Amino acid sequence: MNIGIGGAGSKLASISSDGECIAINVSELELSKVEAKQKILAVTHSARGQLRGSGKNPKIGREAFGSIAEKLKQVIKGNTVFASTGGGTGNGIASEVLEYLSRLEEAVRLEDKTVFALVLPYLKRESYEYVENTIDFLGNPVSSAIDSGNTGNIILFSNKLKFEGKIPEYEYNKMLADSLNTFLAIPVKGEMYKLLDGHIDFEDFDLYRAKPYFNHFSCFSWDPDQDFETQLKANYNSLLLLPERAIEAMFLIELPTPAKASKLYDILDYFAADNVSPVYGIVHNPELKTPQITVSLLYSRKPRELVEDFKKMSDLYTRNRIKKSLEQHVVLQSSKLDKMNEARRMVEESGTNAGDVLGFLKRIGKL
Amino acid sequence: MKELFEKQVSQLKEAHFLILYWTAKAEEKNAKYNITNIFDDLKYSGATRTKQSAVSFVESLSALCFVDVTGEGNRKHLYISPFGAKALEYLLSESKFKIKKSMFLEGSK
Repeated sequence: MNIGIGGAGSKLASISSDGECIAINVSELELSKVEAKQKILAVTHSARGQLRGSGKNPKIGREAFGSIAEKLKQVIKGNTVFASTGGGTGNGIASEVLEYLSRLEEAVRLEDKTVFALVLPYLKRESYEYVENTIDFLGNPVSSAIDSGNTGNIILFSNKLKFEGKIPEYEYNKMLADSLNTFLAIPVKGEMYKLLDGHIDFEDFDLYRAKPYFNHFSCFSWDPDQDFETQLKANYNSLLLLPERAIEAMFLIELPTPAKASKLYDILDYFAADNVSPVYGIVHNPELKTPQITVSLLYSRKPRELVEDFKKMSDLYTRNRIKKSLEQHVVLQSSKLDKMNEARRMVEESGTNAGDVLGFLKRIGKL
Repeated sequence: MKELFEKQVSQLKEAHFLILYWTAKAEEKNAKYNITNIFDDLKYSGATRTKQSAVSFVESLSALCFVDVTGEGNRKHLYISPFGAKALEYLLSESKFKIKKSMFLEGSK
Protein backbone atom coordinates (compact mmCIF):
# COMPACT_ATOMS: atom_id res chain seq x y z
CA MET A 1 0.00 0.00 0.00
CA ASN A 2 1.28 3.45 -0.88
CA ILE A 3 1.12 6.17 1.73
CA GLY A 4 1.18 9.75 0.51
CA ILE A 5 2.05 12.49 2.94
CA GLY A 6 1.29 16.12 2.12
CA GLY A 7 -0.09 17.51 -1.12
CA ALA A 8 2.64 16.37 -3.51
CA GLY A 9 3.20 13.01 -1.76
CA SER A 10 -0.52 12.16 -1.76
CA LYS A 11 -0.92 12.96 -5.45
CA LEU A 12 2.05 10.80 -6.37
CA ALA A 13 0.94 7.93 -4.11
CA SER A 14 -2.53 8.07 -5.60
CA ILE A 15 -1.32 8.05 -9.21
CA SER A 16 1.15 5.23 -8.49
CA SER A 17 -1.57 2.98 -7.12
CA ASP A 18 -4.68 4.11 -9.01
CA GLY A 19 -6.16 5.51 -5.83
CA GLU A 20 -5.44 2.41 -3.72
CA CYS A 21 -3.46 4.40 -1.19
CA ILE A 22 -3.61 6.21 2.11
CA ALA A 23 -3.45 9.99 1.85
CA ILE A 24 -2.37 12.08 4.83
CA ASN A 25 -2.62 15.83 5.10
CA VAL A 26 -3.23 18.59 7.62
CA SER A 27 -5.65 20.29 5.28
CA GLU A 28 -9.09 18.83 4.66
CA LEU A 29 -9.30 20.79 1.44
CA GLU A 30 -6.10 19.23 0.12
CA LEU A 31 -7.31 15.77 1.14
CA SER A 32 -10.55 16.25 -0.76
CA LYS A 33 -8.58 16.78 -3.96
CA VAL A 34 -6.88 13.37 -3.81
CA GLU A 35 -8.32 10.02 -4.78
CA ALA A 36 -7.41 7.62 -1.99
CA LYS A 37 -8.78 4.49 -0.36
CA GLN A 38 -8.23 5.99 3.05
CA LYS A 39 -7.74 9.61 4.01
CA ILE A 40 -6.19 10.64 7.29
CA LEU A 41 -6.51 14.19 8.51
CA ALA A 42 -3.64 15.14 10.79
CA VAL A 43 -4.60 17.73 13.37
CA THR A 44 -2.65 20.88 13.89
CA HIS A 45 -3.41 23.61 16.36
CA SER A 46 -2.66 26.19 13.74
CA ALA A 47 -5.87 27.34 12.06
CA ARG A 48 -3.84 28.35 9.05
CA GLY A 49 -2.47 24.81 8.71
CA GLN A 50 -5.83 23.13 9.14
CA LEU A 51 -7.54 25.31 6.61
CA ARG A 52 -4.92 26.01 4.06
CA GLY A 53 -2.20 23.39 4.56
CA SER A 54 1.15 24.00 6.17
CA GLY A 55 2.51 25.98 3.24
CA LYS A 56 6.25 25.69 3.43
CA ASN A 57 6.50 25.31 7.17
CA PRO A 58 7.61 21.81 8.29
CA LYS A 59 6.94 22.77 11.93
CA ILE A 60 3.21 22.51 11.23
CA GLY A 61 3.70 19.03 9.75
CA ARG A 62 5.86 17.96 12.70
CA GLU A 63 3.27 19.23 15.17
CA ALA A 64 0.47 17.42 13.33
CA PHE A 65 2.38 14.11 13.40
CA GLY A 66 1.44 13.69 17.09
CA SER A 67 -2.24 13.31 16.22
CA ILE A 68 -1.64 10.38 13.84
CA ALA A 69 1.60 8.93 15.20
CA GLU A 70 0.31 5.57 16.44
CA LYS A 71 -1.76 4.94 13.33
CA LEU A 72 1.07 5.94 11.01
CA LYS A 73 3.63 3.77 12.80
CA GLN A 74 1.46 0.78 11.99
CA VAL A 75 0.51 1.56 8.39
CA ILE A 76 4.04 2.31 7.18
CA LYS A 77 5.19 -1.24 7.93
CA GLY A 78 6.28 -2.90 4.71
CA ASN A 79 4.84 -0.05 2.63
CA THR A 80 6.09 2.87 0.56
CA VAL A 81 5.88 6.42 1.82
CA PHE A 82 5.69 9.23 -0.72
CA ALA A 83 6.55 12.77 0.33
CA SER A 84 7.96 15.96 -1.04
CA THR A 85 11.02 17.20 0.85
CA GLY A 86 10.31 20.85 0.16
CA GLY A 87 6.77 21.33 1.42
CA GLY A 88 5.57 21.70 4.98
CA THR A 89 3.39 18.64 5.59
CA GLY A 90 5.40 16.09 3.61
CA ASN A 91 8.68 17.24 5.05
CA GLY A 92 7.38 17.68 8.62
CA ILE A 93 5.52 14.37 9.00
CA ALA A 94 8.11 12.35 7.03
CA SER A 95 10.85 13.85 9.25
CA GLU A 96 9.03 12.63 12.34
CA VAL A 97 8.56 9.16 10.80
CA LEU A 98 12.25 8.90 9.90
CA GLU A 99 13.30 10.11 13.34
CA TYR A 100 10.97 7.60 14.95
CA LEU A 101 12.56 4.81 12.86
CA SER A 102 16.08 5.91 13.74
CA ARG A 103 15.27 5.93 17.47
CA LEU A 104 13.97 2.35 17.50
CA GLU A 105 16.14 0.20 19.71
CA GLU A 106 15.21 -3.04 18.01
CA ALA A 107 16.03 -3.43 14.33
CA VAL A 108 12.99 -3.31 12.05
CA ARG A 109 12.18 -6.69 10.52
CA LEU A 110 12.90 -6.99 6.80
CA GLU A 111 9.26 -7.39 5.85
CA ASP A 112 8.36 -4.30 7.90
CA LYS A 113 10.90 -2.00 6.30
CA THR A 114 9.46 1.15 4.76
CA VAL A 115 10.55 2.42 1.38
CA PHE A 116 10.67 6.19 1.05
CA ALA A 117 10.01 7.81 -2.30
CA LEU A 118 11.00 11.44 -1.88
CA VAL A 119 10.55 14.24 -4.35
CA LEU A 120 13.33 16.82 -4.22
CA PRO A 121 12.84 20.38 -5.51
CA TYR A 122 14.69 21.69 -8.54
CA LEU A 123 17.11 24.27 -7.24
CA LYS A 124 17.05 26.53 -10.26
CA ARG A 125 13.31 26.99 -10.34
CA GLU A 126 11.75 26.30 -6.98
CA SER A 127 11.54 28.59 -4.02
CA TYR A 128 14.32 29.10 -1.53
CA GLU A 129 12.14 27.73 1.31
CA TYR A 130 11.76 24.40 -0.49
CA VAL A 131 15.53 24.14 -0.86
CA GLU A 132 16.16 25.08 2.79
CA ASN A 133 13.57 22.53 3.97
CA THR A 134 15.22 19.88 1.80
CA ILE A 135 18.67 20.65 3.19
CA ASP A 136 17.35 20.20 6.75
CA PHE A 137 15.50 17.06 5.79
CA LEU A 138 18.42 15.34 4.06
CA GLY A 139 20.93 16.49 6.65
CA ASN A 140 19.07 15.34 9.73
CA PRO A 141 16.12 12.87 9.56
CA VAL A 142 17.29 11.04 6.41
CA SER A 143 20.88 10.88 7.57
CA SER A 144 20.04 9.40 10.97
CA ALA A 145 17.48 6.98 9.53
CA ILE A 146 20.05 5.60 7.09
CA ASP A 147 22.65 5.31 9.86
CA SER A 148 20.14 3.34 11.92
CA GLY A 149 19.54 0.90 9.05
CA ASN A 150 15.83 0.86 9.84
CA THR A 151 14.52 2.06 6.49
CA GLY A 152 14.16 0.30 3.19
CA ASN A 153 15.31 1.83 -0.09
CA ILE A 154 15.21 5.57 -0.37
CA ILE A 155 14.26 6.79 -3.81
CA LEU A 156 15.23 10.35 -4.62
CA PHE A 157 13.05 11.74 -7.37
CA SER A 158 14.03 15.11 -8.76
CA ASN A 159 11.79 17.82 -10.15
CA LYS A 160 14.53 18.88 -12.55
CA LEU A 161 13.04 17.30 -15.67
CA LYS A 162 9.61 18.65 -14.82
CA PHE A 163 10.83 22.22 -15.00
CA GLU A 164 13.35 21.80 -17.80
CA GLY A 165 10.92 19.81 -19.91
CA LYS A 166 8.01 22.11 -18.94
CA ILE A 167 5.87 19.10 -18.05
CA PRO A 168 2.49 19.61 -16.32
CA GLU A 169 2.34 18.28 -12.77
CA TYR A 170 -0.12 15.46 -13.41
CA GLU A 171 1.85 14.18 -16.41
CA TYR A 172 5.10 14.40 -14.49
CA ASN A 173 3.65 12.50 -11.54
CA LYS A 174 2.46 9.89 -14.02
CA MET A 175 6.01 9.61 -15.36
CA LEU A 176 7.39 9.16 -11.83
CA ALA A 177 4.73 6.56 -11.05
CA ASP A 178 5.34 4.66 -14.30
CA SER A 179 9.06 4.65 -13.70
CA LEU A 180 8.63 3.33 -10.15
CA ASN A 181 6.09 0.75 -11.26
CA THR A 182 8.49 -0.51 -13.95
CA PHE A 183 11.00 -1.20 -11.20
CA LEU A 184 8.34 -2.80 -8.99
CA ALA A 185 7.29 -5.04 -11.91
CA ILE A 186 10.63 -6.90 -11.89
CA PRO A 187 9.44 -9.87 -9.78
CA VAL A 188 6.07 -9.90 -11.57
CA LYS A 189 7.83 -10.29 -14.92
CA GLY A 190 10.02 -12.97 -13.39
CA GLU A 191 6.88 -14.92 -12.62
CA MET A 192 5.01 -14.03 -15.82
CA TYR A 193 7.59 -14.84 -18.51
CA LYS A 194 9.68 -17.85 -19.31
CA LEU A 195 12.91 -17.74 -17.39
CA LEU A 196 16.11 -17.98 -19.43
CA ASP A 197 18.69 -17.43 -16.71
CA GLY A 198 18.90 -16.34 -13.09
CA HIS A 199 15.76 -15.53 -11.15
CA ILE A 200 14.35 -12.67 -9.13
CA ASP A 201 11.43 -13.86 -7.06
CA PHE A 202 9.29 -11.77 -4.72
CA GLU A 203 11.39 -12.77 -1.76
CA ASP A 204 14.62 -11.62 -3.45
CA PHE A 205 12.91 -8.44 -4.48
CA ASP A 206 11.55 -7.65 -1.00
CA LEU A 207 14.97 -8.31 0.49
CA TYR A 208 16.48 -5.91 -2.02
CA ARG A 209 13.87 -3.23 -1.29
CA ALA A 210 14.48 -3.59 2.42
CA LYS A 211 18.10 -2.43 2.17
CA PRO A 212 18.70 1.03 3.63
CA TYR A 213 20.38 2.56 0.58
CA PHE A 214 19.49 5.01 -2.14
CA ASN A 215 17.95 3.28 -5.10
CA HIS A 216 18.44 4.46 -8.67
CA PHE A 217 16.57 2.47 -11.27
CA SER A 218 16.28 2.77 -14.98
CA CYS A 219 14.70 0.88 -17.86
CA PHE A 220 16.02 1.09 -21.43
CA SER A 221 16.47 -0.76 -24.70
CA TRP A 222 19.60 -2.80 -24.42
CA ASP A 223 21.89 -3.58 -27.29
CA PRO A 224 23.75 -6.78 -26.32
CA ASP A 225 26.56 -5.97 -28.77
CA GLN A 226 27.39 -2.57 -27.27
CA ASP A 227 29.38 -1.76 -24.15
CA PHE A 228 27.04 -2.00 -21.14
CA GLU A 229 28.65 0.78 -19.10
CA THR A 230 28.24 3.27 -21.94
CA GLN A 231 24.61 2.28 -22.38
CA LEU A 232 23.90 2.47 -18.66
CA LYS A 233 25.44 5.93 -18.27
CA ALA A 234 23.56 7.17 -21.30
CA ASN A 235 20.30 5.87 -19.86
CA TYR A 236 20.40 6.93 -16.25
CA ASN A 237 16.90 7.75 -15.11
CA SER A 238 16.48 11.50 -15.54
CA LEU A 239 13.58 11.45 -13.04
CA LEU A 240 15.97 10.47 -10.25
CA LEU A 241 19.13 11.96 -8.81
CA LEU A 242 22.23 10.58 -10.50
CA PRO A 243 23.66 7.54 -8.70
CA GLU A 244 27.08 7.04 -7.20
CA ARG A 245 29.09 3.82 -7.59
CA ALA A 246 26.78 0.93 -6.88
CA ILE A 247 27.30 -1.23 -3.85
CA GLU A 248 24.49 -3.58 -4.77
CA ALA A 249 22.57 -4.04 -7.99
CA MET A 250 19.68 -5.85 -9.59
CA PHE A 251 18.74 -6.21 -13.23
CA LEU A 252 16.14 -7.93 -15.31
CA ILE A 253 16.72 -8.51 -19.00
CA GLU A 254 13.74 -9.10 -21.26
CA LEU A 255 14.64 -10.68 -24.58
CA PRO A 256 12.26 -10.99 -27.54
CA THR A 257 14.14 -14.15 -28.60
CA PRO A 258 16.18 -16.44 -26.39
CA ALA A 259 19.34 -15.62 -28.36
CA LYS A 260 22.06 -13.39 -26.88
CA ALA A 261 21.23 -14.49 -23.34
CA SER A 262 24.89 -15.21 -22.81
CA LYS A 263 25.66 -11.49 -23.16
CA LEU A 264 24.53 -11.11 -19.60
CA TYR A 265 28.01 -12.14 -18.54
CA ASP A 266 29.35 -8.85 -19.92
CA ILE A 267 27.02 -7.09 -17.50
CA LEU A 268 28.12 -9.28 -14.62
CA ASP A 269 31.74 -8.46 -15.53
CA TYR A 270 30.95 -4.76 -15.40
CA PHE A 271 29.55 -5.06 -11.86
CA ALA A 272 32.28 -7.47 -10.77
CA ALA A 273 34.85 -4.73 -11.43
CA ASP A 274 33.24 -2.89 -8.49
CA ASN A 275 32.93 -6.07 -6.41
CA VAL A 276 29.19 -6.07 -6.87
CA SER A 277 27.31 -9.34 -7.38
CA PRO A 278 23.93 -8.34 -8.73
CA VAL A 279 20.67 -10.17 -8.33
CA TYR A 280 19.52 -10.81 -11.88
CA GLY A 281 17.08 -12.57 -14.11
CA ILE A 282 16.61 -13.00 -17.85
CA VAL A 283 13.18 -13.68 -19.25
CA HIS A 284 11.77 -14.28 -22.68
CA ASN A 285 9.23 -11.56 -23.45
CA PRO A 286 7.85 -12.21 -26.93
CA GLU A 287 5.85 -8.96 -26.87
CA LEU A 288 9.05 -6.94 -27.24
CA LYS A 289 10.84 -6.15 -30.48
CA THR A 290 14.21 -5.30 -28.98
CA PRO A 291 15.88 -6.46 -25.78
CA GLN A 292 15.07 -4.36 -22.72
CA ILE A 293 16.81 -4.10 -19.39
CA THR A 294 15.59 -2.79 -16.04
CA VAL A 295 18.56 -1.98 -13.80
CA SER A 296 18.55 -0.90 -10.19
CA LEU A 297 21.63 0.40 -8.41
CA LEU A 298 21.83 0.72 -4.65
CA TYR A 299 24.33 3.30 -3.57
CA SER A 300 25.18 4.56 -0.17
CA ARG A 301 26.44 8.00 -0.82
CA LYS A 302 26.08 9.66 2.49
CA PRO A 303 23.27 12.17 2.57
CA ARG A 304 25.68 14.65 4.11
CA GLU A 305 27.48 14.77 0.79
CA LEU A 306 24.14 15.19 -0.89
CA VAL A 307 23.39 18.01 1.49
CA GLU A 308 26.72 19.62 0.64
CA ASP A 309 25.72 19.55 -3.03
CA PHE A 310 22.41 21.16 -2.18
CA LYS A 311 24.15 23.73 -0.01
CA LYS A 312 26.66 24.53 -2.71
CA MET A 313 23.91 24.97 -5.26
CA SER A 314 21.78 26.89 -2.80
CA ASP A 315 24.70 29.23 -1.98
CA LEU A 316 25.39 29.74 -5.66
CA TYR A 317 21.81 30.69 -6.42
CA THR A 318 21.57 32.87 -3.34
CA ARG A 319 24.72 34.69 -4.44
CA ASN A 320 23.28 35.15 -7.91
CA ARG A 321 20.05 36.45 -6.44
CA ILE A 322 21.92 38.90 -4.22
CA LYS A 323 24.05 40.01 -7.17
CA LYS A 324 20.96 40.57 -9.23
CA SER A 325 19.23 42.48 -6.48
CA LEU A 326 22.33 44.67 -6.08
CA GLU A 327 22.36 45.37 -9.80
CA GLN A 328 18.74 46.34 -9.63
CA HIS A 329 19.15 48.37 -6.48
CA VAL A 330 18.04 51.93 -6.93
CA VAL A 331 18.77 54.48 -4.24
CA LEU A 332 15.61 56.40 -3.54
CA GLN A 333 16.29 59.88 -2.21
CA SER A 334 14.36 60.46 0.95
CA SER A 335 12.07 63.43 0.73
CA LYS A 336 13.45 66.39 2.60
CA LEU A 337 10.23 68.33 2.31
CA ASP A 338 9.19 69.67 5.67
CA LYS A 339 5.47 70.22 5.40
CA MET A 340 5.41 72.99 7.99
CA ASN A 341 8.26 74.92 6.37
CA GLU A 342 6.74 74.42 2.96
CA ALA A 343 3.41 75.77 4.21
CA ARG A 344 5.18 78.78 5.67
CA ARG A 345 7.00 79.39 2.43
CA MET A 346 3.72 79.25 0.55
CA VAL A 347 2.20 81.65 3.04
CA GLU A 348 5.03 84.09 2.46
CA GLU A 349 4.78 83.73 -1.29
CA SER A 350 1.04 84.22 -1.36
CA GLY A 351 -0.01 87.52 -2.71
CA THR A 352 -0.84 90.20 -0.16
CA ASN A 353 -1.41 93.82 -0.94
CA ALA A 354 -0.45 96.16 1.89
CA GLY A 355 -1.85 99.15 -0.01
CA ASP A 356 -5.35 97.74 0.18
CA VAL A 357 -5.24 97.65 3.98
CA LEU A 358 -3.98 101.19 4.29
CA GLY A 359 -6.64 102.37 1.80
CA PHE A 360 -9.28 100.66 3.89
CA LEU A 361 -7.99 102.21 7.14
CA LYS A 362 -8.09 105.63 5.50
CA ARG A 363 -11.62 105.06 4.30
CA ILE A 364 -12.85 104.21 7.76
CA GLY A 365 -11.04 107.19 9.24
CA LYS A 366 -8.45 105.37 11.29
CA LEU A 367 -5.65 106.88 9.24
CA MET B 1 5.24 112.71 21.45
CA LYS B 2 6.11 111.85 17.86
CA GLU B 3 9.50 110.75 19.06
CA LEU B 4 7.88 108.46 21.67
CA PHE B 5 5.52 107.03 19.07
CA GLU B 6 8.37 106.25 16.68
CA LYS B 7 10.36 104.71 19.51
CA GLN B 8 7.40 102.54 20.49
CA VAL B 9 6.82 101.42 16.91
CA SER B 10 10.49 100.65 16.37
CA GLN B 11 10.34 98.26 19.33
CA LEU B 12 7.57 96.20 17.78
CA LYS B 13 8.43 92.68 16.68
CA GLU B 14 7.28 90.70 13.68
CA ALA B 15 4.45 89.12 15.70
CA HIS B 16 3.14 92.62 16.67
CA PHE B 17 3.28 93.67 13.06
CA LEU B 18 1.42 90.60 11.86
CA ILE B 19 -1.29 91.04 14.51
CA LEU B 20 -1.83 94.63 13.45
CA TYR B 21 -1.93 93.67 9.80
CA TRP B 22 -4.27 90.72 10.28
CA THR B 23 -6.53 92.71 12.60
CA ALA B 24 -6.86 95.41 9.92
CA LYS B 25 -7.54 92.77 7.26
CA ALA B 26 -10.19 91.17 9.51
CA GLU B 27 -11.89 94.48 9.94
CA GLU B 28 -11.80 95.01 6.19
CA LYS B 29 -13.43 91.61 5.69
CA ASN B 30 -15.86 92.29 8.50
CA ALA B 31 -14.66 89.15 10.22
CA LYS B 32 -14.39 88.81 13.97
CA TYR B 33 -10.79 88.11 14.82
CA ASN B 34 -10.00 86.83 18.30
CA ILE B 35 -6.96 85.77 20.33
CA THR B 36 -7.43 82.10 19.44
CA ASN B 37 -7.33 82.97 15.74
CA ILE B 38 -4.24 85.08 16.34
CA PHE B 39 -2.54 82.25 18.16
CA ASP B 40 -3.32 79.82 15.31
CA ASP B 41 -2.03 82.23 12.69
CA LEU B 42 1.12 83.09 14.65
CA LYS B 43 1.82 79.42 15.19
CA TYR B 44 1.33 78.64 11.54
CA SER B 45 3.53 81.49 10.42
CA GLY B 46 6.25 80.34 12.80
CA ALA B 47 6.23 83.50 14.92
CA THR B 48 5.45 81.71 18.16
CA ARG B 49 4.56 78.30 19.49
CA THR B 50 2.74 79.13 22.73
CA LYS B 51 -0.57 80.75 23.46
CA GLN B 52 0.96 82.72 26.34
CA SER B 53 3.27 84.49 23.88
CA ALA B 54 0.35 85.22 21.58
CA VAL B 55 -1.58 86.69 24.53
CA SER B 56 1.39 88.81 25.63
CA PHE B 57 1.79 90.20 22.09
CA VAL B 58 -1.86 91.19 22.10
CA GLU B 59 -1.63 92.67 25.62
CA SER B 60 1.37 94.79 24.70
CA LEU B 61 -0.41 96.11 21.58
CA SER B 62 -3.45 96.82 23.73
CA ALA B 63 -1.31 98.67 26.35
CA LEU B 64 0.18 100.79 23.60
CA CYS B 65 -3.41 101.53 22.48
CA PHE B 66 -2.66 100.08 19.04
CA VAL B 67 -5.57 97.61 19.27
CA ASP B 68 -8.89 97.61 21.06
CA VAL B 69 -9.81 94.35 22.69
CA THR B 70 -13.53 94.13 23.20
CA GLY B 71 -16.01 91.46 24.14
CA GLU B 72 -16.77 89.28 27.09
CA GLY B 73 -15.10 86.22 28.58
CA ASN B 74 -12.96 84.28 26.22
CA ARG B 75 -14.55 85.72 23.10
CA LYS B 76 -12.52 88.91 22.93
CA HIS B 77 -12.31 90.43 19.52
CA LEU B 78 -9.59 92.71 18.24
CA TYR B 79 -9.97 95.95 16.34
CA ILE B 80 -7.17 98.17 15.16
CA SER B 81 -7.09 101.66 16.71
CA PRO B 82 -6.11 104.86 14.83
CA PHE B 83 -2.69 104.65 16.58
CA GLY B 84 -2.37 101.07 15.50
CA ALA B 85 -3.25 102.07 11.93
CA LYS B 86 -0.47 104.65 12.00
CA ALA B 87 1.96 102.17 13.47
CA LEU B 88 1.04 99.67 10.72
CA GLU B 89 1.49 102.34 8.05
CA TYR B 90 4.90 103.16 9.46
CA LEU B 91 6.01 99.55 9.58
CA LEU B 92 4.78 98.90 6.04
CA SER B 93 6.62 101.97 4.72
CA GLU B 94 9.80 100.82 6.43
CA SER B 95 9.33 97.30 4.94
CA LYS B 96 10.79 96.04 8.17
CA PHE B 97 8.74 92.85 8.13
CA LYS B 98 7.34 90.66 5.44
CA ILE B 99 3.59 90.22 5.21
CA LYS B 100 2.36 86.68 5.82
CA LYS B 101 -1.00 85.28 5.03
CA SER B 102 -3.52 84.65 7.80
CA MET B 103 -4.86 81.16 7.43
CA PHE B 104 -7.96 82.20 9.32
CA LEU B 105 -8.76 85.11 7.05
CA GLU B 106 -7.57 83.77 3.73
CA GLY B 107 -7.64 80.02 4.22
CA SER B 108 -5.42 78.17 1.81
CA LYS B 109 -6.13 80.54 -1.08
